[in-house]
Amino acid sequence: MKLLEYEAKEIFSKYGIPVPKGVLIRAPEEVTAHLPRIGDAVVLKAQVDVGGRGKAGGVLMAEDATAVETARELFSREIKGVPVRSILVEERLAIEHEYYVSIAVDRSSRQPVVLFADAGGVEIENAAMADESAVRRVVVSPLLRDIPPFLMRELLGGAPKELAPTINSLYHAFQEKDAMLAEINPLVTTPQGVYAADAKLIIDDNALARQGIAVNRDLSEREREAEKHGFSYVELDGSIGVIGNGAGLTMSTLDLIEYYRGQAANFLDVGGGADQERVMHAVRLVASMPGVNVIVVNLLGGITRCDEVAKGIIAAGVAPTVIVRMAGTNEEEGRQLLAEHGYRMLESMDAAVRAAMEVAA
Amino acid sequence: MIYGDKNLGVIVQNITGRQGRFHTELMNDYAREVGGRGVVAGVAPRKGGQEVHGVPVYNTVREALREHDATASVIFVPAVAAADAIMEAAHAGIDLAVVITEHIPVHDSMLAVAYAKLHDCTVIGPNCPGLLSPGECKLGIMPAHLATRGHVGVVSRSGTLTYEVVDELTRAGIGQSTVVGIGGDPVIGQTFVDVLARFEDDPQTKAVVVIGEVGGNLEEEGVRSTDLPVVAYIAGVSAPPEKRMGHAGAIIEGGEGDARSKVRRLSALDIPVASRPSEIPELIRGVL
Repeated sequence: MKLLEYEAKEIFSKYGIPVPKGVLIRAPEEVTAHLPRIGDAVVLKAQVDVGGRGKAGGVLMAEDATAVETARELFSREIKGVPVRSILVEERLAIEHEYYVSIAVDRSSRQPVVLFADAGGVEIENAAMADESAVRRVVVSPLLRDIPPFLMRELLGGAPKELAPTINSLYHAFQEKDAMLAEINPLVTTPQGVYAADAKLIIDDNALARQGIAVNRDLSEREREAEKHGFSYVELDGSIGVIGNGAGLTMSTLDLIEYYRGQAANFLDVGGGADQERVMHAVRLVASMPGVNVIVVNLLGGITRCDEVAKGIIAAGVAPTVIVRMAGTNEEEGRQLLAEHGYRMLESMDAAVRAAMEVAA
Repeated sequence: MIYGDKNLGVIVQNITGRQGRFHTELMNDYAREVGGRGVVAGVAPRKGGQEVHGVPVYNTVREALREHDATASVIFVPAVAAADAIMEAAHAGIDLAVVITEHIPVHDSMLAVAYAKLHDCTVIGPNCPGLLSPGECKLGIMPAHLATRGHVGVVSRSGTLTYEVVDELTRAGIGQSTVVGIGGDPVIGQTFVDVLARFEDDPQTKAVVVIGEVGGNLEEEGVRSTDLPVVAYIAGVSAPPEKRMGHAGAIIEGGEGDARSKVRRLSALDIPVASRPSEIPELIRGVL
């Protein structure tokens, strides 16, 4: 889960990373009371989860006299379609130089990887594309508590060594907060010292519970229902509903629909142990999506009991046509049950998707 | 066959759990069928002395290995304790840990994989179905009846999609040497590179099917590393960016790891890429 800038900064600050003086406001008038502490020259930053926020008009400068008016302006904007509900008001830093630092999970070496660039800011990705040597990278063994000095020297190159403690603190935050990504862009030097001018932190979804982070996503009713049953569920734009077991097989079913020039309505992975109850809830959920007139159920597995699945589909009793492809134990019983109730069970994914295309057309 | 044959002795960690019990029975059914050793012992803390389907249970891996000759472990321990279980296995001298558990936090996986490496323990998974060498051994939860012995290796990030491909191959009369599910998480022990290196050293394997997904770039890295004929299939060409498609690893992030560009890069390496699973047997015939 991606945290907002102000949440990431609160966490970074606890790890000893210097962040600009600031406050989170939810209404324009709130800014006035905080100006004496923050200063006369401020930056107003919309707290929205969108990339390229600055370019999209989500960051505005203000003086003490214009702060309320500027905040009102920012609250009235939508940043790439996202309404502004809160603003981080910060002191304006006297920036001498901008750097880039991030720590991510390197799939290839299965270790944390630290990236550093002598030039930070909004253009970093373009710069890195144009010149790979502009970004230095070191991998750190997850068995180590700190980034060892020899790796830090390699990482910093000619950059000031005053940055090292902040980068090491970022590594601590990355490890202890179960981060998939911890990024400071830009990391800046000022006459007053080093600061994290911006902050990005993505927490591993599998670690949210032990991090005590409540998931505050805006879920639709159907998404909440899916979560309740432990389904992986994503809504798309098409009319062919999809239910599968296993992420790969379900994705592959979606791809096959696209291959035959159809449009899938959703991704729904029922997960392991597709029994009568789970299948029934899955079918009902997908059937409740507006515009779905056919559902492909593609279940494969050694331990899936086809008679159970068939009973689930029959119990769901929904209006859209349900086309079934399954393989597993008691296949014949399943086929028989489905046939008795007027459902079609097909031999292959290809056949099932083609049959669904005919209904959808 | 890679990783092990009939003579491989196996233990199961958390053998007393629902999954552990169920799959111990299936693994030993398979071992009996092929005349292999199968699961010789189980581990469950504080449950030593019990039996599961005739397999003796011990409190620790070390105790189990004191009484039995085993070099591999299949791990069904819940996510919160799974990293610890991997490290326990590695520390006790297990050479091969197959981790079925899903939802293990990535930092736990990084730590456990690094620790296992210090002890020369190979980790397959987590969040994987394990491996199956038809006619030799089965470690994990793959449905054995779909597979048949032959010369094609299969390495995949998926579970059920792997069964689908194995089923397609078998129906087309193409047997498999070993089928390996390496797992769907961002951090896994054995990657495509490692498994392909084993296939290259295996005289039985003449060609390999690589089954990838959205997320990361490890498929290309693997294919580049081998001289064996390879056929690929990548799931998720229709997946939208930033939406997690089930697996923690199956997400297109920051423009990296989308299936279409993977397919493009593999094709540029002259690798035949199937646009649907049912095309794989034909493509494999073309490279054999």
